[in-house]
Amino acid sequence: MQKEAAIREPLILGNKTYHDVTEDVCRPIEGKAPKMWYILFAIALIIGLYGVGSILYLLGTGIGVWGLNKTIGWAWDITNFVWWVGIGHAGTLISAVLLLFRQKWRMAINRSAEAMTIFAVFMAGTFPLIHMGRLWVGYWVLPIPNHFGSLWVNFNSPLLWDVFAISTYLSVSLVFWYIGLIPDFATIRDRAKKPVAKRMYSILSFGWSGRAKHWNRFELVSLVLAGLATPLVFSVHSIVSFDFATSVIPGWHTTIFPPYFVAGAVFSGFAMVQTLLLVMRKAMNLEAYIHTKHVEYMNIVIMVTGSIVGTAYITELFISWYSGVEYEAYAFLNRATGPYWWAYWSMMTCNVISPQLMWIRKLRRSLLFTFFISIVVNIGMWFERYVIIVTSIHRDYIPAAWSMHYPSHIDIAVYVGTIGLFFVFFLLFARYFPVLALNEVKTILKGSGQSYKESPDYHKHH
Amino acid sequence: MEVTKKYWKGIEELNQTPEFTKHRDNEFPFQNSVEQFLVDEQLAESSTGRRDFLKFLGFSVAAATLAACEAPVTKAVPYVNKPEDVTPGVATWYASTYYDGLSYASVLVKTREARPIFIKGNKDFGFTKGGTNPQIIASVLGLYDSERLNGVRAKGVDANISVDKADKAIRSALKAAKEIVVLSPTIISPSLTTALSTFSTAYAVNGLSKVKVVQYDAVSYGAIRKANELNFGASIIPSYDFSKAKTIVSVGADFLSTWLLANEYAVQYGVNRAPGKDMSSHYQFESIMSITGSNADGRVQIKPSESANVLAYILKSIGGSTLVSSALSGEAKKVADAAIAALKSSKKESLVVCGSNNEAEQLLTNAINNQLNAYGTTIDLANDVKLFQSNDKEANQLFDAIIAGKGPDVLINLGANPVYSASNGEALRNGLEGLKMYVSTSRYADESSSVAAYIVPDHHQLEGWSDFKPKATQYAVAQPTIRPLGDTYSSLESVLVWAGAAVRNGKDSTVAYDAIKGTAASAEFGFTDFALLTHNSCGAVSAPISTFAYKAVASSATTKGGEWEVVFYQKTAIRDGGLASNPWLQELPDPISKVTWDNYITMNPVQMEKMGYVTTYDQEHGLNMATVTVNGQKVTLPVYPQPGQAFNTIGIALGYGRGANGEKIGRGAYQTKEYGGYELDDKGKRIAIGVNVYPCVSVFNGLPSYAASATIAKAEGEYLIAATQIHHTVMGRDSIVRETTLSTFLKGDREAFNPIHKLQRLNEHGHHEEAPLEEFDLWNAHPIEKVGHRWGMTIDLSSCIGCGSCLVACQSENNVPVVGKDEVRRGREMHWLRIDRYYASAEESTIGKKANEDDFNYSEAEKAAVNPAVVHMPLMCHHCNHAPCETVCPVAATTHSNEGLNQMAYNRCIGTRYCANNCPYKVRRFNWFNYPSYKKFTEVNPAQDDLGRMVLNPDVTVRTRGVMEKCSFCVQRIQSTKLTAKKEARPVKDGELATACSEACPTNAIIVGDWNDDNSAVKASSSDNRAYQALEEVGVKPNVWYKVKVRN
Repeated sequence: MQKEAAIREPLILGNKTYHDVTEDVCRPIEGKAPKMWYILFAIALIIGLYGVGSILYLLGTGIGVWGLNKTIGWAWDITNFVWWVGIGHAGTLISAVLLLFRQKWRMAINRSAEAMTIFAVFMAGTFPLIHMGRLWVGYWVLPIPNHFGSLWVNFNSPLLWDVFAISTYLSVSLVFWYIGLIPDFATIRDRAKKPVAKRMYSILSFGWSGRAKHWNRFELVSLVLAGLATPLVFSVHSIVSFDFATSVIPGWHTTIFPPYFVAGAVFSGFAMVQTLLLVMRKAMNLEAYIHTKHVEYMNIVIMVTGSIVGTAYITELFISWYSGVEYEAYAFLNRATGPYWWAYWSMMTCNVISPQLMWIRKLRRSLLFTFFISIVVNIGMWFERYVIIVTSIHRDYIPAAWSMHYPSHIDIAVYVGTIGLFFVFFLLFARYFPVLALNEVKTILKGSGQSYKESPDYHKHH
Repeated sequence: MEVTKKYWKGIEELNQTPEFTKHRDNEFPFQNSVEQFLVDEQLAESSTGRRDFLKFLGFSVAAATLAACEAPVTKAVPYVNKPEDVTPGVATWYASTYYDGLSYASVLVKTREARPIFIKGNKDFGFTKGGTNPQIIASVLGLYDSERLNGVRAKGVDANISVDKADKAIRSALKAAKEIVVLSPTIISPSLTTALSTFSTAYAVNGLSKVKVVQYDAVSYGAIRKANELNFGASIIPSYDFSKAKTIVSVGADFLSTWLLANEYAVQYGVNRAPGKDMSSHYQFESIMSITGSNADGRVQIKPSESANVLAYILKSIGGSTLVSSALSGEAKKVADAAIAALKSSKKESLVVCGSNNEAEQLLTNAINNQLNAYGTTIDLANDVKLFQSNDKEANQLFDAIIAGKGPDVLINLGANPVYSASNGEALRNGLEGLKMYVSTSRYADESSSVAAYIVPDHHQLEGWSDFKPKATQYAVAQPTIRPLGDTYSSLESVLVWAGAAVRNGKDSTVAYDAIKGTAASAEFGFTDFALLTHNSCGAVSAPISTFAYKAVASSATTKGGEWEVVFYQKTAIRDGGLASNPWLQELPDPISKVTWDNYITMNPVQMEKMGYVTTYDQEHGLNMATVTVNGQKVTLPVYPQPGQAFNTIGIALGYGRGANGEKIGRGAYQTKEYGGYELDDKGKRIAIGVNVYPCVSVFNGLPSYAASATIAKAEGEYLIAATQIHHTVMGRDSIVRETTLSTFLKGDREAFNPIHKLQRLNEHGHHEEAPLEEFDLWNAHPIEKVGHRWGMTIDLSSCIGCGSCLVACQSENNVPVVGKDEVRRGREMHWLRIDRYYASAEESTIGKKANEDDFNYSEAEKAAVNPAVVHMPLMCHHCNHAPCETVCPVAATTHSNEGLNQMAYNRCIGTRYCANNCPYKVRRFNWFNYPSYKKFTEVNPAQDDLGRMVLNPDVTVRTRGVMEKCSFCVQRIQSTKLTAKKEARPVKDGELATACSEACPTNAIIVGDWNDDNSAVKASSSDNRAYQALEEVGVKPNVWYKVKVRN
C-alpha cells in the first residue's frame, strides 16, 4: 500500500466517471436551452444592438458626438479599449502560462477564459477603430503597398505597435483556443443525433478521430502555441502601455507602465473570469469541476497582481514627488486631490484595498464575496484607465488649456453596448461550445483506482 | 492527328439527303424571295453590313458611356478678355479705408479672383499706421452675409422692388413735406456733407431749408467735446499721441481696445512699451477689468463715482486746484501717488485720459493735462478728431418728438440704429411706424429700419466709393474692391438722387465716384491726382491754423455714487453691437473673460463668494443669474466672476441683444440649437444673443452716462456659458509665462529674470553637475541648422496687449471654421491661434513665480488675486524640431519639413488624435464634425452659406471631418514669398514674410522670419536676453520664442 498525502483537495469533486464528464459538458449543448438563457440573450442583444446603433451614429456624424474636447482627445474610447484588452489577458495567461507551469487546475477554466479573452479582444479592437476620425481610411495603419507613392506607416508610433500587438494576440489566442476545441467538438459530433448539428460539428472538428497520432500532435501543438502565446501575454499590455509611456505628458510618461499594465491586466482578467464562471458553474451545473479550490487559486492570483498594482500606484506617487519635476508632481497631486479625486480614490479602494481582503482564507473561499470583489475589481480597473488617461491630460502643461471631461450619452451607450455584445458572444459560446475542455479534464480524473479507494471494499481491507 | 472535328446537326446533314441540301441553300424558307424581302433599294445599296452595324453600335455605346463618365463642367468660362491685374491664383491688394461709425483705419484689402477675402492695416499710409482691431479685420465677412439686403425694400413687401418706384415715392413725399430730418451716424464724409447741403438747398422754402441733419452715435463721447468747448471754446476731440507720453494715466478709458480711436492708440502705445530706459509707465484706475487695465503697470479698482476723486487728487497733487473732493484711501491712494510721482517727472510728456462721459470729470482731466503742459506734446487740439460728433441732445429731442407723434414729415435715416441703441428704443419703434415717410439706407432690415416705408440699402464698405475726413489734417477715400453683390446704392448717391441732383444708373452708376473725385479736387483738399490718392488711400490736408487758449472752468456735478454701481462697457469683439451678426466676432473670446457668444454681469469673485454666487464654471456647470435694476430697467443675466473688478460694482457689455424683435440683422446674430437650427421663441422668432442694456443707460446732464447706481438681486436659474479658458492662473509654473520688473531687467542679469534651464547629470567622476538642456538630447537634430530656411517666430509678451486682432486675422486667413456657442462650451473652438490670459494668484510673487517655493498652496494658486496682474500669451503651433506629435502619428500624417515647419497632411490624417494628446502646448484642433456641411453649423459657419463661403481663402484647404488641423505658420504665405523671391532670382529678404498674426499685431509683438539668416530680425529677437522658450525643459525644441514681460 502506498501512502498518499491528503493535503491537496481534489480538482474534481464527486465520483465522476469519464462518461459523467462527457455528459456534464455535452448536456447543455444537446438539450434545450433554459428560459433564463433566452432572457439573458435577449437583454444582451438589445444592449448590444443599441451599442451598434450608437456606433453607426458616431460614424455617420463625427467624433464630436462623444464628450471629447481640444484638451482631452481620448477619454472613454481608449479607457474602454485598455479595459477590454486587460480583461482579455486572463485567458491566454491561464491556458499558456499555466500550461507551461503544469497547473492542472487551469483545465476547468481555460476554455471559457479563452473564449472570454477572444470576445474581450473583439470588443477592445472596436475602440481603436471607431475612435478614428476617419475609419474609412483606417486601413492606412497597415503597412500594405499602396498607390500613394512612397507613403508608408510610421514605425515610430506606439499606436502602430498596438496594431501589430493586438492583431497578433488575437490571432494566436484564436488559434490556441480553436486547437483546444477540436477534440471536444469531435466528441459532440460523435454524440450528435440531428443531421445539421452533426454536420456543423464535424466541420468544426476537422476530422478528428482520436487516434494516438492525433493526440500526440495535439499535445505538441498546444505546447508550441503555449510557448508562442506566453511572451504575447506580456507584450500586448506592455505595448498598450507604450501608448502612454512614450508620450511627453506628465502622468503618461512613466517607465513603470509596462509591468504595471501587465499586472493590472491579469488582475482584471482574473476578476472577469471569476464573474463569469461563478455564474456559469451554477447555471450549467458545473459545481463539481469549478469549485472553491479553483476560486481560491484565482483569488490568490488576484491578490498577488492586485498587490503589484498597488505597489505600482504608490511607487508612481512617490516618484512623482521625488523627481522634483513640477508637472509630474502636480499631475499626481491633481489625481489625488483635483477635480477627479473621486475617480482616483475609487480606483485606490477597488484595486488596492479590496484584493488585500483575500489574505483572509474564509473570504477568499467565499463564493459570494468573490463574486462581489470580482465586480469591484473590474470597476476599479476601469477607473484606473480613466484616471491615467483623463486626469493626466485634462490638466497637463498649459493651465489655460485645462479642461474637464463630461461623457455624452453616446460615450455611455457605446461602452455599455460592448458589454452587451460581449455577453451575446459569451452566451452563444455557452450554448453551442463545450464550456469545459472535456477531453483534457478527463486526464485529471482520478479514475477507477480512486473509485476503488472510496468504495466500501477498500475500507474493509484496512 | 486530325484536330478538326466535324459536327453535324442531324442525321440528314450526315447523309446529305436531297431534302436537306435543298433547305440548306434556301436560308429563308418562305414564299418571298430575299430580293422581295429587301424591297428597299437603298438598303440594298448600303455598304453597312451586319458586322459593321454591330461595330458602330458597340462604338457608340462605348462612346456614349465614356462621355457620360466625364465630370460636367459648369460655368467655367475662360477669360476671353482677361481683365487687367486679375490673374487667377494671384492676389490683388487695394488700399482703402475702413469706417463704420466706430472704428476708422487705413487698410489694405486682399482680393482673389475679384473677391475681397482679407483685410489688414495699411502701415505705409494714414495716421492709423497699420493699426486695426478685430472688427475691422472681421468686417470682410459682413460683405458675404446673405441676410444683408440685396435690393430696395418697401414696408410690408417681402421682395425687392424697383429703386425708381421708391425714389419717386420718396421724392414726392419730400416735396410735400414741411419738415425733413436726416438722421445719421457721425458724418465724416466731406462728399456726403456737400451732398446734404445740396439736398438742403433743394428742399428750401424762401431760402429757409426744411432739412435738418441730426448726427447720432450709439456710443457718445459728448463729454470730451463739451469739456473742450468750455476750456478751449471748440467742441472738439483732440488727437492724442500715446507714443509721446512717458507717463500714461487712464481713469476708466479703455484706450487700447474700445475708447475713441483705440486702434491708432494701440500702435502708439506699443512704441514706448519696449523694455528699456525709455519705457513708458502706465497707470489705470477703473471699475471693470479692461484690456487697457490688464496692460497697466499700476492698476487699481475704483468705483465709477470715485473717478472724480482720483482726478481731483491728481490735479491737486500736481499743483492744480478744484472744488471736487479728492479724498482717496488705501490702494487707490497708493497707485495714485505712484502715478503722480511719474507724472511729475515726465511733466509735459504725460497723458491723462478719462473714459467717463461726464463733463465734470473731463474738465478735471483737461485741467490735469493743462497743469502738466501736455497740450502741444501728447495732445494736439489743432488736429482734432472728426469722429463721434453725436449730438445727443438734438437726437433725444428728435426721438421724443417722434415718440410723441410730432415727428418730421420725412425722416431719412442714413444707417443709425436708435431703436436698438437709444434708451427708449421700444417706444421709438412705434413712433417711427407712425411717421408719414420714413426712409432708411441701412444695409440690413434692422431694428430701426424694419419699420421704414422704404429701405434703399447702402453698399457694404468694400463695394462702393466713400471719402472721409477723420481728422482735421487727413483726407481719405475708400475704393470699391468688388462690384456690388446686390442692388444696393451708395447713400451718397441716394441723397443726391433725392435732392434731384443726380440720376441712378444701377451698378454702373458713377454718381458717388464723381462726387468724391470732385470733393478731392476741390480747393479744400486739392487732390487733383485722384489715381495717386486712391493708390495711397489718403493724403494730408492742412488744418486751419487756430490757437487754443486754456480757460479754467469750475467743475460741476460729478457722477453720483450708490451702494452698487454699474458700468456699461464695450467688448472688444462686439463693441456697440453694429457688427453683432458677424460670427467671427461672436466667437472671438473676450480678451479678458475668454467668454464667447454672450454678455453677462461681471463681479469680483471674492464678493460673489460672500454673496453666495458660484465662481467656477465649465462645460456643464453654469453661472448663477442675477437681476440688475438700473434706471428703472431690469435686466437678468448670468454673473461672471471677474477678478480685478471693483467691489460693489458690476459691469455689463453693450452691443448684445441685437435683433431681439426678430429683425433680420444677419445670420450669425441669433442663438442656435444643440442639433442645428435657430432657437425660436413661442412666436417663432429667432432669439437674440445676450441682452440689450442700452435701455439702462441713463441721461445725465444731457449726455448718456455709462455708469450709474444700480441694485442687484440673485435670480433663479443657472446659465451655461461658453468660455475658451476655464482655468485662469499659471499655477506658479515658471516656464510658461515669465515676467519681471523694469528695474530688474535694466540691471541686465539674465539669471534674475530669465534663468536658463539646467539639469543635473553625473560627470566622469560620478559627481552631480549642472548642464544646459541641449546636452540631454536623446534625438538626432533635424538637419535644418544653417541649411536653407528655418522659419521661426518670437512673441514679445511685453508688447502684446491681448487685443485679439491676430486671432481674427488667423481665422480669416486660414478658413478656420466657426463652431457656435454650444461647441465652444464643450471646449471645441477651432482657433489655430489662441491668446491665453493668466491672472496672478495670491501664491505668486509675479505670474509664474512661486512666492514661497516650499509652502506653495496649489488650491489657493487656482484662484486669481483680488486685483491681479495680467499676462496675455498668444499661443499657436510651436513647430517643434523634436515634435512629439510627429513621432506618435501612426500614418505619418504630421511630419517635419526641411524648413523647420511641423506640417499637417490633412488627407493623410486618420484622426486618432494621439498627436493632440501628446502636444504639450495643446494647440492642435480636431474636426469633430464636418463643419462645412453638418447641420449643427449651418447658421454659424460661413462656409455653409453659398454667399458666405466666398470669403474662404482659396490658398488654404477647407478641412473635412475627422482630421486634425493646426497653425501652419501660414505656409501658403511662406510658399508665395519664396516663389516671389525665386522669380526675382534673389534670396528671401528679412521682413518679406508676414504671417496673418504678425501682420495684424498693432504693437509688432510677433516677429517671423528665417532663423537661419543671421541678420534676420527674428534671429536677433530670439537671441535677446529676454527670449525664452515655453516649456523648454520638455525638450521639444520649439521654433517659437517668447520674450519676458517687463512691467515698469
